[in-house]
Amino acid sequence: MADLIYENTVVNVVKEHFKDDIIDAKVRRQRRVELRTNTNNIESVLLFLKEKMGFLHLSHISCVDWIEENRFELVYILWHPQEKVNVLIKVDVDRLNPVAPNIDYIWPQANTYERELREMFGIQFEGLVGRHELILEDWDDLPPMRRDFDTLQYVMQNYTFRSGREDAQDVRETIAKRTGEEIPEFAKKYSR
Amino acid sequence: MNYVLNDRESSKIVEFIKNFARKNSLWVLAYGTGCGAIEIPPTMTSRYDAERFSVRGAATPRQADVLLITGYLSVKTLKRVIRSYEQMQDPKYVIGFGSCTINGGMYWDSYNTIKQLDLYLPVDVYINGCMPRPEAVLAGFAKLQELIGKGEANGWKHYKENLEWYRQNQQKLIKNWKMPDYNW
Amino acid sequence: MTFWQTLGAVLLTILIAFISGLFYMGIRRKVIARIQNRYGPPVYQNFLDVMKLWFKESNIHHGIMQHLAPLWMMAMGVSTLLFIPIVYNSDFWANFTFKGDIILLLYLMVFGSLGFALGAGQTGNPNSAIGVTRGLSQLVGFELPWVIALIAVMIQYKTTSLTDLVAWQQQHHTWIAFEQPFAFIAALLVLPAMFRYSPYDIVVAPSELASGPASEFGGKYMGLMMSSGSIFMFAKLALIVDVFLGGATSWLWMIIKTLALYMIPVLWSTVNPRYRTEQAIWSLWRWPLIFAVIGLLIATV
Ligand code: SF4
Repeated sequence: MADLIYENTVVNVVKEHFKDDIIDAKVRRQRRVELRTNTNNIESVLLFLKEKMGFLHLSHISCVDWIEENRFELVYILWHPQEKVNVLIKVDVDRLNPVAPNIDYIWPQANTYERELREMFGIQFEGLVGRHELILEDWDDLPPMRRDFDTLQYVMQNYTFRSGREDAQDVRETIAKRTGEEIPEFAKKYSR
Repeated sequence: MNYVLNDRESSKIVEFIKNFARKNSLWVLAYGTGCGAIEIPPTMTSRYDAERFSVRGAATPRQADVLLITGYLSVKTLKRVIRSYEQMQDPKYVIGFGSCTINGGMYWDSYNTIKQLDLYLPVDVYINGCMPRPEAVLAGFAKLQELIGKGEANGWKHYKENLEWYRQNQQKLIKNWKMPDYNW
Repeated sequence: MTFWQTLGAVLLTILIAFISGLFYMGIRRKVIARIQNRYGPPVYQNFLDVMKLWFKESNIHHGIMQHLAPLWMMAMGVSTLLFIPIVYNSDFWANFTFKGDIILLLYLMVFGSLGFALGAGQTGNPNSAIGVTRGLSQLVGFELPWVIALIAVMIQYKTTSLTDLVAWQQQHHTWIAFEQPFAFIAALLVLPAMFRYSPYDIVVAPSELASGPASEFGGKYMGLMMSSGSIFMFAKLALIVDVFLGGATSWLWMIIKTLALYMIPVLWSTVNPRYRTEQAIWSLWRWPLIFAVIGLLIATV
């Protein structure tokens, strides 16, 4: 195992600087550090990492829908070009009132990611400018990447299928029937 | 020389000449929609050389004869495709390319791609496969040429006659319909 | 020469120029295909293309200027062709040549492009507008060396008549290309730019500009443009053959010489990438212009 010197330094420095504002900080594995904070502090954490620690590049802003716990989890992924370390900063957002701070003054490319999240998850970023439509056009349903959006039902309602196609048919079984092959027990549940 | 061509026969000959010219000069609109567009460069360039079958690329819809729908069409793209199709000059032909255009293919449960192309545009030839190899594409072109030669590739006439039906289907998907009636 | 003889000669000239022009383009496509290791379309492919375009059943235009634009091209092509004597010492094939026709031709050859630029501008297509600006810049680029090269020849032989030039070459059994090589080289170097072949094809740029000025022209308009293009191409080649390559004593020689001349820009274009507009203009104003000016100096001294 490689020594995780820089990774541990990041964790220690951030913990020392932000004290209680960092909810959780740990080294996931080599080159990957995970921090958890809240929406009030996310801007200062990102600014600190960029200006003081040299995480110059924002790779991505991603989102996870934890529908059971009634929260969205935003993940900001930063990259340190010299030390070659990724840091993931996770923030929880309330699912019913999803509002997060806008950070496109720190990294301009965040604008695109935030517009995508606004479109696909319905997360509002305070003061985000830019056209409302990024990928979808004239969308008036639930944001499609939310887990309570029923894709199949939407498809069945809105599109016409060519008759003769039995959708979600068990392909493996059909082929097996035709060739006389026996499907082993463990493979059955994957055969869809 | 007592024999004189009557109207029917002479129009037959004219039709034959017209169809001969049309089938031997297919200009394909360079418009790639889905992943199938990646099969077009090998079809057109040295390896498979579609030009020897008189198939050539055209830069704009005005000059093109054939619209290749190369794969899945999202609703957003469908709007652009309809405009491009209607800007093409008659006679014009559509080739549906890949299983996505036939029945949705592997995107059958996607919320944003259409499942059956011929509800929205009149398709003359389908090429199946996911994605079709250049040989299959060439076979599709050959089929189209055969149909044109027989005078059976009449999708564009069909589209004009049944414009209302097509419009209904299109407008069901495209909610914000801000287009002229027919985009000349 | 009766009226009917003249008319017959004119129509036949146009017809032969049209057919051979289309064949030359077909040969070009074939040559390019062979160089790219393809089989290529048949040489008569362009006839089928033109026929198909004429058989189109709907033809859309956006206004009267666009409607007329291909006609400007056609008028330019035909009128340029008709002022060029095709066959030496033949009354029948001399068409409308007269003393001073080179100067008229210099005017005629720009006229069509300008008319077409107006028509393309009316379409309102942004690609057309960009193409037109590029095309006109390039026109300025190649007109300068081309005109100076022709003026050099005119000064050296103290005539502005094509017939006289051809007669001089035929009587002295030599070509002006050997007597005045600098002007000839300048004319050769601007040929690809006149035909808009690579490296000077930034004007049409099919993949970036969607064929530039022609992007809104479809159906019969496109067919007319292709036809006039073939006629104009033949006219340009015939002009250079008359001025520099000794003219022709029969149609056969004319076709052999023009085809051989045509192969130079074709082969040159197949191995070249594309110049940007300012590169194109500077490349035209460097060596072609230098050669043309040297030719002019030699002619005047
Ligand atoms: S048929 Fe296959 S290759 Fe073609 S667009 Fe659909 S998924 Fe892609």
